Amino acid sequence: MEVQEPKRRIPLVGTVEGVLTVFKHVLMKPVTVQYPEEKEYVPERFRFRIFLNLDDCVGCTLCEQVCPNKSIKMETVKRNNPRNKRMIYPDVNFGTCTVCRNCQEICPTDAIYLTHVFETSRTKNSFLYSPEELAMPEEEVKK
Amino acid sequence: MSLLSFTYGIFKVLGYDLATFVTFLIDSIVFLLVASVAVAGTIYFFRKYMARVQLRIGPNRVGKFGTLQLIADAFKLFGKESILPRLRDDLPYKVAPVLVFIGLLVAFSILPYGSLYYIGDIFISNSGVGIILLFAVLAIMPIGELLAGISSHNKYSLIGALRAVAKDISFEVPMMLSVLAIVVMASARTTNSLNISSVVTSELLPYGILEPLGLFVFFISMIARASYTPFDMGESESELVSGYSTEYTGMRFGLFYLGMFGTILLGSFIVSLFYLGGYNGPYSSDIGLIYLLIKAVIVVVISFTVWLAMPRIRIDKFVNFGWKYLLPISVINLVLAGFLTIYLGW
Amino acid sequence: MSEWVELNMGPQHPSTHGVLRLKIKVEGEIVREVEPVIGYLHRNAEKLCENTFFCDNLLYFDRMDYVGAPGMEVGYLEAAEKLLGVPPPERAIWIRTIMAELSRIASHLVWLGAYGLDLGMLTPFFYAFDLREKIMTIFVEASGSRLLTNYCSIGGVYQDFNEKIVQEIEDFINIAPSKIEELNSLFVKNDIFISRTKGIGYMSKEVAIDYGVTGPMLRASGVEYDVRKAEPYLAYSKVNFEIPVSSKGDNLARFLVRIEEMRQSVKIISQAIKKLPDGPFFNPKAKKSMMIRMRGEGEVYARTEASKGEFGVYIVGDGGVKPYRVRVRSPSLKNLSVLREIGKNVMIADLVAISGTTDLVFGEIDR
Repeated sequence: MEVQEPKRRIPLVGTVEGVLTVFKHVLMKPVTVQYPEEKEYVPERFRFRIFLNLDDCVGCTLCEQVCPNKSIKMETVKRNNPRNKRMIYPDVNFGTCTVCRNCQEICPTDAIYLTHVFETSRTKNSFLYSPEELAMPEEEVKK
Repeated sequence: MSLLSFTYGIFKVLGYDLATFVTFLIDSIVFLLVASVAVAGTIYFFRKYMARVQLRIGPNRVGKFGTLQLIADAFKLFGKESILPRLRDDLPYKVAPVLVFIGLLVAFSILPYGSLYYIGDIFISNSGVGIILLFAVLAIMPIGELLAGISSHNKYSLIGALRAVAKDISFEVPMMLSVLAIVVMASARTTNSLNISSVVTSELLPYGILEPLGLFVFFISMIARASYTPFDMGESESELVSGYSTEYTGMRFGLFYLGMFGTILLGSFIVSLFYLGGYNGPYSSDIGLIYLLIKAVIVVVISFTVWLAMPRIRIDKFVNFGWKYLLPISVINLVLAGFLTIYLGW
Repeated sequence: MSEWVELNMGPQHPSTHGVLRLKIKVEGEIVREVEPVIGYLHRNAEKLCENTFFCDNLLYFDRMDYVGAPGMEVGYLEAAEKLLGVPPPERAIWIRTIMAELSRIASHLVWLGAYGLDLGMLTPFFYAFDLREKIMTIFVEASGSRLLTNYCSIGGVYQDFNEKIVQEIEDFINIAPSKIEELNSLFVKNDIFISRTKGIGYMSKEVAIDYGVTGPMLRASGVEYDVRKAEPYLAYSKVNFEIPVSSKGDNLARFLVRIEEMRQSVKIISQAIKKLPDGPFFNPKAKKSMMIRMRGEGEVYARTEASKGEFGVYIVGDGGVKPYRVRVRSPSLKNLSVLREIGKNVMIADLVAISGTTDLVFGEIDR
């Protein structure tokens, strides 16, 4: 299909039309969201913060293996869990996590999963979440 | 009754010489402040207007509706380190931004601004050859741009300055011709046809209606003078980084920035004075300033919309446009003006 | 020769999208020689791919053409699934088609806005991004992330389309044509825009083929070649669409071809969303712990039509869980190299206008 070039028209008329089109947008509502004051619409299936269910984790290290940029490391936690004899649980460094969701997809017991919590900003320098912190809600971790 | 005599009345007790001196001094200072605030207001209005056109909100954090944003920006510019290029031409490099800004302020002080109830006619200088003086002052600003481009020892700046000069010489002749047409028309009605106030007062019907071609040429010249898109070849940011002001930082850059917006405001005032009837209005003649401001704001809005909606024209195309279209149009306009004046007596 | 002034444009320059550096020699305002210098965004993606599993490599492809990530994923999966032998089910194929076309629109919208900025138009950029935001919402709803979606995975897609996404896509189909029309009219009705693009940056058919130019740039030079038609992949053989071609070969032709491509993409999406079949969205052979155990042997080459042009992926597997070699034929690199030819003997302002129409994304050129 051959695309058609615009027809030759009287000079300036189209230009003025363009200027008017731009001018019309003054009356439209701005699309900016003033973030901290008003919350942006976050789609239901938006995913960011990784949570860990300590009781379900079997310490299989699959999430550590699949993590593409080694954000997940296994860590020993003294905890009584009959399914996790080696007592190793994943910790996540959110400084390097790219939210690829591979850990959630590969987890055989669905112990590690992502939620739509995304407000993890803080003044702390490290974004390393220990397994216990991963199990806590975000508000408690910030304390 | 004018602003000058109003101020003179207050200081009459000081004696003639001293009172005249103090009057001009105080009026000039007040005027400088008002002009600076007006230019700052133009910048604020531009930012807010641009944001709304682009579906954004614009400055709204500093002060109510972001009105103090510009003061914050000014402090930021003052606080910035002034980086000087090592191989610069020192004097022209430092003089250039000041030259641009002073040219702007002087041009503001030449215009008459109509009258307001008690203050009376607002003007600083009521020169008998005001029109010539105005365009002479306007011609200072390109020199500042040229100096800035050449002295900062940067290839982008150099190309920008050369473009700015090429642009200036191609629109200034048509601009002067279209102003000449106004002087021709005004000369039939007033004895002092080079004085801006008498030209404006003689506009029973705005010259923009009698000379639409002149308005077109003059408006385009004013866009080119203020050098914003479509005619901002001198500082086209996507081609030459920032053109002649590439090497400027801090408040020196701020002066160029102010100069640009000031020229837009100045151009709007000149267009509304010469072509849209200035401070003449339908009802009371006491609120001439309000009429002038309304007209100027409308022209400013049109200028901003043009700025935001247009791509940049190429420099050689603009030179072509200037000499091959604007010049003939302004000559035709001049001939028509003479015809209207002599044979129809308008 | 000594009178030519050498000028550097970039890598920190407002008009070079990303980190392109153009070494140009100018004679006054006229550009006599252009030398694109690349490599400022080199991230070694091809080598990194050799050290990670097949499923993780997808991430590096997301980061190649980051303005339309699903389009790149589709290109990689065409090759990887052929190598690993896990074909996606029918529903996943249609979902991928929709996502690839959405990413094409998203990519062209970024280009459209940025091209306006190149020419000095400040406003259309925001209108283009306003429309793109709708696509981003669809991406978030589908995959959970806005830009680097990682949505398609080996053997299907990450998660199924739900009612809400279908609804959002239908909304997008309803509003997109009028918005695209409005954007288009802002450009092509403008006399100055026409004077900046018409007849500028002419590229002949021969030059385009010699340099291996593909995509909209090739089609604007009069070659009717599109991988979606020439070698249909995904579900492109089951939908009706046309390939926009122009014989003019200048900036305006490239502009119009891209605009027409966006309209055709909307058409493809509206057909695909109606034909979306029911069924599984994932090949069970590739699920869960199989993700890091899939082995592939042999070599495959697959090509797809990304938004910039023909995107080819070559993978060699040695029977391990990680590829032995991954090589990418990126369209932007070839499209950039032709700048040396068509950017000669034009004004500086035209060089910016020409390099704008090549639609460069540096994640893909440097990889």
